[in-house]
Amino acid sequence: MTQLYLYGMTRAGPLPAGLAERGIELVAADGRAAIVSSIESSPVTATRRNLLAHAEVVERLHERAIVLPARFGTVVADRDAALELLALPGVAALLDEHADRSELTLRGTYDESVLRAIAPAVAGLREGYRAAPTLEGGLALGEAVVEALAARRIRDTEEVLSALDPHVVGVRSGEPRGEYGAFNLSLLVTRDAVATIEDELELLARRLSPPLRFELVGPLPPYSFVELELGVPA
Amino acid sequence: MQQEASSGYITRAPRSNGLADVLEILLDRGLVIDAFVRVSLVGIELLTVDLRVVVASVDTYLRFAEAVNRLDLRAVDDSKSVPDLFEKGEEEGAEKKSKGAIEGGMDAIKEKVGLGGRGDDEDQERERSRSGRRGNDRG
Repeated sequence: MTQLYLYGMTRAGPLPAGLAERGIELVAADGRAAIVSSIESSPVTATRRNLLAHAEVVERLHERAIVLPARFGTVVADRDAALELLALPGVAALLDEHADRSELTLRGTYDESVLRAIAPAVAGLREGYRAAPTLEGGLALGEAVVEALAARRIRDTEEVLSALDPHVVGVRSGEPRGEYGAFNLSLLVTRDAVATIEDELELLARRLSPPLRFELVGPLPPYSFVELELGVPA
Repeated sequence: MQQEASSGYITRAPRSNGLADVLEILLDRGLVIDAFVRVSLVGIELLTVDLRVVVASVDTYLRFAEAVNRLDLRAVDDSKSVPDLFEKGEEEGAEKKSKGAIEGGMDAIKEKVGLGGRGDDEDQERERSRSGRRGNDRG
């Protein structure tokens, strides 16, 4: 039986070019719309292609209007089921609440020159290791470097957060990427704050770069800020 | 804008880019619709366990020790005044390193989730039961 894969929910309106040809439809009622496509079977597996397709659809639609992304893998039985979801009061409230909002991902990563800044703090251990490169000496030195890096990470993250704080609605902090990762933040912002945040990043980069590099992704749908669990009444 | 010097340290992307981004930004996030019979939700939360890179390991310590050991501190003692030429070499190294770390992480993810280019349509359960295998599933 054909079911509908649910990408998310949005305001009713036209589909961006190219999505209809790929089987994406809007099931609309009362100005709200479920973003769906027909699938032959469920569950939908977490393949590379499926994950990228989900991201592309919600992100492209979000360029035009707010999208509340559904969790990957959500399937509804048919159009009636999609309409039932749209009619839930929580959906209308979230669409209103997030109407002009987006999520930005902001990652900070150090380049290796951060070690140059840290070196003076571990000078004693470093000299000891240079004189006699033992395993114990190497571990002690490495551990001291990792600790110094962690302290710097906390300091820099606080500086970034306090600079951005006036311009964001919400923040979620995730795991930084890799050994040189400094922070990995999800920022909930209004769309008109995006340019301001870009300007703030320029100022932050003047103070913190090098060694800190910034990576800003978005505006994305508010993936990290739609935790409302919707239950269909029995 | 006139801050060209600092702009070099900011990468800008309008959308999530590639599988690593998608796994991190999107997987396990979004509206959860708990509607029993009419909606099915894949239990993918199982798959995100164990994807974290363990930072504080012996291996990490030793690599950092070597990296600090390699520095020639006589050249400069102020990180803000590092000459450009020197900076370039350091950047390349950093890029390679983080790339390696990400790829390493992605191998682990591929094994868990079956996200290899080839195995796109393979069943997750089967893919997971083959974990332990390494190396021959790189595209």
